[in-house]
Amino acid sequence: MVLLDHAAVSQDAAVRVRGLSVVYRTDVGERAAVRSVDLDLSPGQITGIVGESGSGKSTLALALLNAVPKPGRIAAGSIEVGDLGEITGLSGRRLRHLRGGEIGYVFQASQNSLNPLKTIGKQLLDLGRSHGVDDLRGMVRDAGELAGRMGLDGKRVLDSYQHELSGGMRQRVGIMFALVLNARVLVLDEPTTALDMLSQVAVLDIVREIHRERGLATVIITHDMGVVAEMADRIAVMYGGRLVEVGPAVEVLRDPRHPYTRALIRAIPRLVGDPEAASALPGRPPDLVTLPQQGCVFRERCPLALPICATLDPAMTHDGMRGVACHAADGTPSSSEDEDRNEPIQAGGEKTS
Amino acid sequence: MSTTVDPVVAAVGRRTPKHHFWHGLRVVMLRRPSRIVGAGICALFAFLAVFGPHLYPANLPIDPTAIFQGPSSQHWLGTDFEGTDVLALLVTGTRYVLEAAAFASLFTVVIGTTVGLVAGYQRGLSDSSLMKVTDFVLTVPGFPLLIVLSTVWDFGAPASMGLVLGITGWGGLARAVRSQTLSLRERGFIEAARGLDLPAAHIVFRELLPNVAPYIAMSLLLTFTGFVYAEVGLFFLGVVPFTVNNWGVMLNLAVQNGALSATSALSYLLAPLVAILLLTLGVVLVLDAFDELFNPRLREG
Amino acid sequence: MRRLALRLGRRLLGGLVMIWLVSTFTFFIVHALPGDPVQVQYETLLARGVPPDQAQHQVSVMYGFVPHTSVWHQYGDYIFGLVHGDLGQSISYTGVGVGHIVLAAAPWTVVLVLTGIMASFLVGVSLGVLAAVRRSSRIGDLLSVSGSLLHGIPQFVLALLLLYIFSTQLAIMPYGAPYDASYSPGLNWPFMQSVISHAILPVAAYALSSYGGWLLTMKSSVISVLGDDFILAAELRGLRGITVMRYVARNAILPLFTILALSIGFMFGGSVFIESIFDYQGLGQMLLSSISARDYPLMAGAFLLITAAVIVANILAELVYTVIDPRVRRQA
Repeated sequence: MVLLDHAAVSQDAAVRVRGLSVVYRTDVGERAAVRSVDLDLSPGQITGIVGESGSGKSTLALALLNAVPKPGRIAAGSIEVGDLGEITGLSGRRLRHLRGGEIGYVFQASQNSLNPLKTIGKQLLDLGRSHGVDDLRGMVRDAGELAGRMGLDGKRVLDSYQHELSGGMRQRVGIMFALVLNARVLVLDEPTTALDMLSQVAVLDIVREIHRERGLATVIITHDMGVVAEMADRIAVMYGGRLVEVGPAVEVLRDPRHPYTRALIRAIPRLVGDPEAASALPGRPPDLVTLPQQGCVFRERCPLALPICATLDPAMTHDGMRGVACHAADGTPSSSEDEDRNEPIQAGGEKTS
Repeated sequence: MSTTVDPVVAAVGRRTPKHHFWHGLRVVMLRRPSRIVGAGICALFAFLAVFGPHLYPANLPIDPTAIFQGPSSQHWLGTDFEGTDVLALLVTGTRYVLEAAAFASLFTVVIGTTVGLVAGYQRGLSDSSLMKVTDFVLTVPGFPLLIVLSTVWDFGAPASMGLVLGITGWGGLARAVRSQTLSLRERGFIEAARGLDLPAAHIVFRELLPNVAPYIAMSLLLTFTGFVYAEVGLFFLGVVPFTVNNWGVMLNLAVQNGALSATSALSYLLAPLVAILLLTLGVVLVLDAFDELFNPRLREG
Repeated sequence: MRRLALRLGRRLLGGLVMIWLVSTFTFFIVHALPGDPVQVQYETLLARGVPPDQAQHQVSVMYGFVPHTSVWHQYGDYIFGLVHGDLGQSISYTGVGVGHIVLAAAPWTVVLVLTGIMASFLVGVSLGVLAAVRRSSRIGDLLSVSGSLLHGIPQFVLALLLLYIFSTQLAIMPYGAPYDASYSPGLNWPFMQSVISHAILPVAAYALSSYGGWLLTMKSSVISVLGDDFILAAELRGLRGITVMRYVARNAILPLFTILALSIGFMFGGSVFIESIFDYQGLGQMLLSSISARDYPLMAGAFLLITAAVIVANILAELVYTVIDPRVRRQA
């Protein structure tokens, strides 16, 4: 039924997301921040999740760690991670193993992701003890090597406090913390925001190399199409909580099918060529309350909007490795009787009852 | 009013626009009935301060046959060691207490705000020297200082009591205003205003002051109760000559005249204490409303 | 380590400057007193038939400076005496040095105040964490209410209530003096027992009056730290709950140290009330009685010693803060 083109790859996917919906409780009732998302993350592949702020990309990333902040909750769908299997119901020890043990999460550099009162080394020991590492000495050695691998002076960094590190150094320390327990999935939240140009390049290079060396399944969450163009093997574009387009990076960038993807690519400022050609998308991205409850989430800003877009939310249609959720893409409005959209919502109904 | 719960939007919060102040105040007051009670208590004390002394004869009657009586229909709160009605003492004693605290608050606001704003705005040498003075005022223990001062200063009149309390009590406000000013500076406030070539006085009084005013108002309410405690305490200790009746004098005379051991004098002993606590309660409840009015973030969660 | 010593040295120097300022202040207060007590004392002695030069000498011993000389000369004498540990002589305790009297009284006050602060700090901070973590449950509400309530009650009201309930009405707690006169001071159990039982109510008054402040401040501090990025990061790294809580508590306690400084001054100031209410002979009581006895050298001495105690306690609090916060420790 669920006819996924990349089914061949997804056999050994490190993370398998199906029909995921995350809702937040608001004054006007529960609203979906993430809706009916299907996504596979495979080892050796860098997936770039792109979207404006409020598109639900960060919520999606937190859902992978079963860490949706209150008043939000996972309302429907499933997330399977490696050997752990289904993680949406995890708690306690196994949940902690998921976080850190299986998936390493790297905060954006402007966020202080370290305890300001403890040295990096001591926090590393806390991490090891929390995850029941027997050979703490070995772990510290690994961490030092990892730090050295990223161009840091391992010994010095471990003796430092957060306030003694620059933004780029903190970012690398964050990556070290994410990978020191040999997590197989690496999630980077806006890895380049708040870094200067040189640090951006350095951090991205490091991510690419470590990714290749360890055969990670890497996710980069960003609003910056440029970063995705440079890093990702696969692109997933989010808008208003929906995945509107997925596909191999090269193809999506060369031939975007969703009007929103096109707009994002047009908005990339280029060093060469006509600066006038880079144009911002008119209008504002929706928030949870202004999000349309019916029809396509993008229609109000869409240059190609059709009458059907106001009533029917387009399902994702697949074509080879690519997928797009748009009535106007390729001219043929897709049928609404798509099971892969309805199924998770029913599943959600069972879950909450 | 709709609210989003997108974490990003929620963190930024929605500010109540200035012209919506009264509307916001109404909404905030009605949200919890306790706040209305608090405002009622404060209004009652204000009323007693203004009209209290007019409700009774200038010299309260004494009755040697009815000393240390418990509450009765004739004397709602009983009588004191001279047979004077305790309620009358309490009501007529309100004016001094509140008047002196109001004067003290006035002096505190003037000194504390000026020092805090100047220190935060000027920074550098004037900041560090002003803060040294502030630290000094904060470190010297207040009550002992007041007691020492009482040897040379006649605290009798509310204004002079207020002046002394204000002079010794502005340190906390100055610190708070300074740190607020500094945080406004961090948000680029002052640089932006300077970039527009606005004169310093304009920046300090038109840009900074309105932004720290809510803060001042809130800390002032707390300081006000602190001043009430202090003056009542000074009278209670007996280091200030008793010129007029007030709650502190009542407490002092009650303890001096053995109300602690006379069971029937309980209401006499408790009356000024309860009055202080009631006033505190009123202020705290109003403060709760102010808190929400000025920090809309608290409304979520 | 050297930076730490340097910092400590600067603080000590600042403290000395403060003590100098305070003693200057008391000097001029005594000078501004209506009727110039120095002159009055001198004339009283003359009236008793003491020869002028002897009277002048006696007065100068008492106050630390000679009447009839210029103010600045007197001030110089006074400060000179202070530097040599001479606080003058008490008037009400004839022939006894003020230094001797206040130093004997100081330990009672210092021990009581510090015990009270420490007790309330420990209890208030721990319960503050609980109140923050359980803020949406009944126990959290209850703790917050208890904090606001006690925070709102003035110290002397609390002390009076404690005295009234436990000492006067229930009569289960002793009243007055640091210990019963029938025991001989020393390291013997009956004496210690007497000291402790006399200290319980005053310490409780100090502790209860500051407990609410700690609880409420710690609660809001914990809530704010719980919203910090690094706490979410710690959770997303799968750290144990207890470890995360330790991160929260240690970070949340830092801002309390700035308040500790204020609280120490306030508590030592409160000794005036608490010692007067419980008739406990410490510095506060001494300050009060010196004023009613017009014993101005003693007043100046007691005030100076209270201030000195506050300054020393503040320096200690700052040292602890410096040890906890690496940002301060590793910088200036």
